Amino acid sequence: MATAALAEAHDEHHYTSTGLPHTKIAIWAFIGSECFFFASLIATYLIYKGRSVVGPFPHTPWVDPATGQHFKPILNIPVTSASTFVLLMSSLAMVLAHSAVVRGDRKWSKIWLASTALLGATFLGFQAYEFTSFVHEGLKITTNLFGSTFFTLTGFHGAHVTAGVLWLVTMLFIDFKRGLGPRDAINVDVMALYWHFVDVVWIAIFTLVYLIQ
Amino acid sequence: MTGHHRARRLYHAALTTVFALGLAACSDVPNTIFGAHSEFGHAEDRLTYLLLTLGGLVFVLVEGLLLFVVLKFRARPGNPTPKQTHGNTTLEVTWTLIPALILAFIAVPTVRTIFQTQEKAPADALQVEVIGHQWWWEFRYPQYKVTTANELYLPVGRTVSFTLQTNDVIHSFWIPQLGGKRDLVHRNKPNYLWFTPESSFVWNGFCAEYCGTSHSNMRFRVFTVPQQEFEAYIAHQQSGPAFPVAQATPADTAKGKGAAPVAAQQVAQTTPAAPGPSENTGTWPHDKLPAWSVPNTPLPAGLTMTAEEGDAARGAQLFKASPCIACHTIQGVSPGTIGPNLTHVGSRTTIGGGLYPNDLKHLAMWIKDAPMMKPGVIMPAMGKDAPQVPGAPPKMGQYTDQQIADIAAYLSSLK
Amino acid sequence: MATTVAAPRAAGPKHKYESGIWSWLATTDHKRIGQLYLYTALAWFLVGGIEAFIIRLQLYGPNGRIVSAETYNQLFTMHGTTMIFMAIMPLSAAFFNFLVPLQIGARDVAFPRLNAFSYWVFLAGSIFMNVSWLFHAAPDGGWFAYAPLNTRVYSPGLNMDFWVIGLQILGLSSLAAGFNFITTIINMRAPGMHFMRMPVFTWATFVTQFLIVLSFPFITVAVTFLLFDRFFGTNFYEIAAGADPLLWQHLFWLFGHPEVYILILPAFGLVSEVLPTFSRKPLFGYPVMVYSLILIAFLGFGVWAHHMFAVGMGPIADSIFGITTMLIAIPTGVKIFNWLGTMWGGSLRFTTPMLFAIGLVSLFTIGGISGVMHSSPPSDLQQTDSYFVVAHFHYVLFGGSMMGLFAGIYYYFPKITGRLMSETLGKWHFWLTFIGMNLTFFPMHFAGLDGMPRRIWQYDANQGWDVDNHISTIGAAILVVATLIFVINLVRSRRSGARAGNDPWGAPTIEWSIPSPPPAYNYATIPTVRSRYPMWDMKAPELTASVPHSPAGEKEVTVKVGGATAGHIETPADTQLNAENAHPSAHELGIVMPTPTIKPLLATLGLCVSFFGLIWHRHVPIIILGGVIFVAALYAWLLTPLEPEH
Repeated sequence: MATAALAEAHDEHHYTSTGLPHTKIAIWAFIGSECFFFASLIATYLIYKGRSVVGPFPHTPWVDPATGQHFKPILNIPVTSASTFVLLMSSLAMVLAHSAVVRGDRKWSKIWLASTALLGATFLGFQAYEFTSFVHEGLKITTNLFGSTFFTLTGFHGAHVTAGVLWLVTMLFIDFKRGLGPRDAINVDVMALYWHFVDVVWIAIFTLVYLIQ
Repeated sequence: MTGHHRARRLYHAALTTVFALGLAACSDVPNTIFGAHSEFGHAEDRLTYLLLTLGGLVFVLVEGLLLFVVLKFRARPGNPTPKQTHGNTTLEVTWTLIPALILAFIAVPTVRTIFQTQEKAPADALQVEVIGHQWWWEFRYPQYKVTTANELYLPVGRTVSFTLQTNDVIHSFWIPQLGGKRDLVHRNKPNYLWFTPESSFVWNGFCAEYCGTSHSNMRFRVFTVPQQEFEAYIAHQQSGPAFPVAQATPADTAKGKGAAPVAAQQVAQTTPAAPGPSENTGTWPHDKLPAWSVPNTPLPAGLTMTAEEGDAARGAQLFKASPCIACHTIQGVSPGTIGPNLTHVGSRTTIGGGLYPNDLKHLAMWIKDAPMMKPGVIMPAMGKDAPQVPGAPPKMGQYTDQQIADIAAYLSSLK
Repeated sequence: MATTVAAPRAAGPKHKYESGIWSWLATTDHKRIGQLYLYTALAWFLVGGIEAFIIRLQLYGPNGRIVSAETYNQLFTMHGTTMIFMAIMPLSAAFFNFLVPLQIGARDVAFPRLNAFSYWVFLAGSIFMNVSWLFHAAPDGGWFAYAPLNTRVYSPGLNMDFWVIGLQILGLSSLAAGFNFITTIINMRAPGMHFMRMPVFTWATFVTQFLIVLSFPFITVAVTFLLFDRFFGTNFYEIAAGADPLLWQHLFWLFGHPEVYILILPAFGLVSEVLPTFSRKPLFGYPVMVYSLILIAFLGFGVWAHHMFAVGMGPIADSIFGITTMLIAIPTGVKIFNWLGTMWGGSLRFTTPMLFAIGLVSLFTIGGISGVMHSSPPSDLQQTDSYFVVAHFHYVLFGGSMMGLFAGIYYYFPKITGRLMSETLGKWHFWLTFIGMNLTFFPMHFAGLDGMPRRIWQYDANQGWDVDNHISTIGAAILVVATLIFVINLVRSRRSGARAGNDPWGAPTIEWSIPSPPPAYNYATIPTVRSRYPMWDMKAPELTASVPHSPAGEKEVTVKVGGATAGHIETPADTQLNAENAHPSAHELGIVMPTPTIKPLLATLGLCVSFFGLIWHRHVPIIILGGVIFVAALYAWLLTPLEPEH
């Protein structure tokens, strides 16, 4: 049996006014709400940008006046560009996975679902690397306003990616157990909407936090 | 002095009629926002009158209509089914446009008043820096290098420009009779407010933004005085502490620790006279305070003070060696800046953020156990047998009641 | 597609969750969840009322000594937090749950288990917040808890920890319900139930849910920052680290002002149901009522900074927010006039729900007028943070929301329980509430205009506030009596009120076509809706005819109020008839209903464990344990189909 969401969407005795399954409407409402959530986080980052009283800073070096210690600019744009590329590719894989499920292609649905999950996990790996290296370079969540806003914003995004990866792995597990077919397409569709949304949020974060100085 | 404003009266009368209770109109209302005593207050009042008039009209119209409908259209036996109307476009457009029109009548003067009252203050205005603390007010006159607390003297007829900052959480500066209010939000980025007091009197001020445990006990007094009185006040505040510490010290030490009480009393009687009683300190005569500006806060149960009279000279000595100096400034004596400046504390009418009258008894009990006198205060208890309030800072002194009375006498003498 | 009435099946073995306490813990029935919301919220309403009454006793005269300053600050913080998040919002939620599926002709909400989860999370959050009393550490930062007073430096105790975590939990509940009801209303309307045929309460719910899902993210973020500051040492509100204390205010009021409409729109919706019924006239200007709801919600997002006129935003921002606030008065005024238009020319029956509905119209008007006074920043500067504001928002929240909700309770009680509430006690309740409410809150206008700041523990004598405060406290005592009468009425009527039948009021909407209380499946046949007021619409008599009624339901009972027989209720002869057994079960009709499950409750328990771990010295293993329970329950829930295989 598929997930309950599927059961709810596909039971034929359920009349729906729009003809769309419930989950599809719910995920859009959820995404609308999440937009405001991330908008608040990003806005806070931008409002506090340049207001930290101590370094290190995102784009400029800093010398601690107390100790004379030098700090490099924190953000490593080449590395993050790579991880952004990985996440973008995962959205492509997601599209292909969805189309394979719609076609009923058991083999490629597994391959593309696994690729999406793997690319998502790779992105998380990049983020783990990024976070640890920032901490080594002297930026913790408690260090300054930049640290607090940056880690909270990207951390919440990472948590969303993690939830997405778990969702993908669960779906993959179901695929291996009983195979996903066209009747499961709506579930993969809803998952894909979530995944693309998380991806789009990252594009906004990458542009506003990393690229704009 | 607050009663001669017809609009306020009318308003009260109208609403109390509706309310069928004439009680509210009878009471004296010293802190009313109506009939303000500054141009800022007048500007606010004018809008409030306009809003009350229009609001009153809407109130009468809507409630009257409702009453009419309720009385006229009540179901009676044998009533036929009423006509099933679903709406009426003309009517609905009308009652959309009328409120819009009323609001336009409000919006235009509103925007004009906003820009008027938030213009830059005149360059020659009296500058006053207001700094909010949990839970007291620090007032500085940067043009005169005077710092005081909880009592503010302003000259009548001269614009005063406040810069408002906080030392900790957000407070709000409000003197209802002079206009207000403005929040004290930031530490390094002041808010501004200016007005010109029109008449000489005593006004109550309040903290209007909830700021923690003793929010209700963060009050202040404003004395608007004629220009020459204000100058005298400032000149006096600029001078050093009224009690000549340097003179008192040898007198006290010469007598030794076991000095006869008689001798000590002589010192106490003579020394406070140093600035001269005839000199105009510019302070408001304490016997001419209106009732509303004399605090009535009852003393806490369980706090006693056995000593009745203190020796100011001994108190001066005790003060110099006490933990008090870490937090309080007395010009030339102590440097602390955490608590209010005490250089001229004796000239003030209240203590504890407007909570108690500034007399020897209240002052002594305050010193003995401030946390009992005012919840949440960070000043620790000083008295030997002062009960330790749970959660209050640990007791910092072991002073006897007599010693505390001495310190109180000293502080009171700092006119 | 709509199921046709099938031949009765042999009833299967009874599920263990179908009776007793388990039937409540495992319920996914929107009607049961609605009742859970109703009674829980009423319980918190009493708690919040007791808090308010202690506040009033303390303020009866100058320098009151009933409670300490610390306790007083906890009382007003918890009074506000309780009434807003644990009484009015969940009372509205009770009606969302109970009514929306009935009004749109559905069998349940879109996600019944998520619905159960919302309730349990609300219950957990409200208990969590109030457990703080046992530690003498109830939240004490005010219900909008301004930074930096809410940070660890200025509020070192557990008090604000309870608040920040409690609010986070309550927010989760509202968000989950929001997604659920948006989906339900968009997707589960019966055939023919076009948007412009929906009952106005459903419209109000629909708009409110959008407000919830779009405004709660702001408070979630604000509270998350505070939680991180308090627990992990971040700097969001750390002034020394360069933070701006106004960040909190902007985020809070971006949520807080839409929240005001979240509190009032459902009451507007209920009143828009009650007034037509007892005027025997359709709602005047239905489309305008719907558009004004939408417009209020839309404008509600653009007025938040009118709570901040005193913080020094500058003349341009003050002007803009002043004008947007004035604009929002227009659609609100239109609602008042349209309600008057509804009653105009009607045949008004003054039942208790009608009295409360009229009470809303009259009292909300006063709150609306003082609201417009606040929209003018220079005038507002003298009013903000004074008792004038306290008067204003109590006229809006008590005179508006609570009056509307009481109207809803008296109106829908027969549908919920199958029994009518006593009209005699109801009228006592109304008149005492109306008088007590005005005595309590009207003098606060004077106190505020006479310079009394809000949230003060004590005030000095000779300030000219004594009389106002005496009257307020006397009014509050009357409200206590009124509320007691309400509780007695509720308890007695639930046990032995007169049987209601399907439609005791002669109401126009389809929820009155089915038995009271409705069977688990609501509608044996999903109705086809042909008009806005099907029960009144003589053009479609087949609508009610096609709905199978219980034997009890066919004997219609009408409350003849107004005229000579006011208050008299005719009951069917067979009052002993048990309505529950009188209509066929879902089994017999072949209707597939969701399986009861305790998994949403288990998921909630997991969350509780985590949050207790957080407040309990940040005990990491407990936090993780709770997380594991939550995720496990979530998986168990999502991987089980909603309904039995068929």
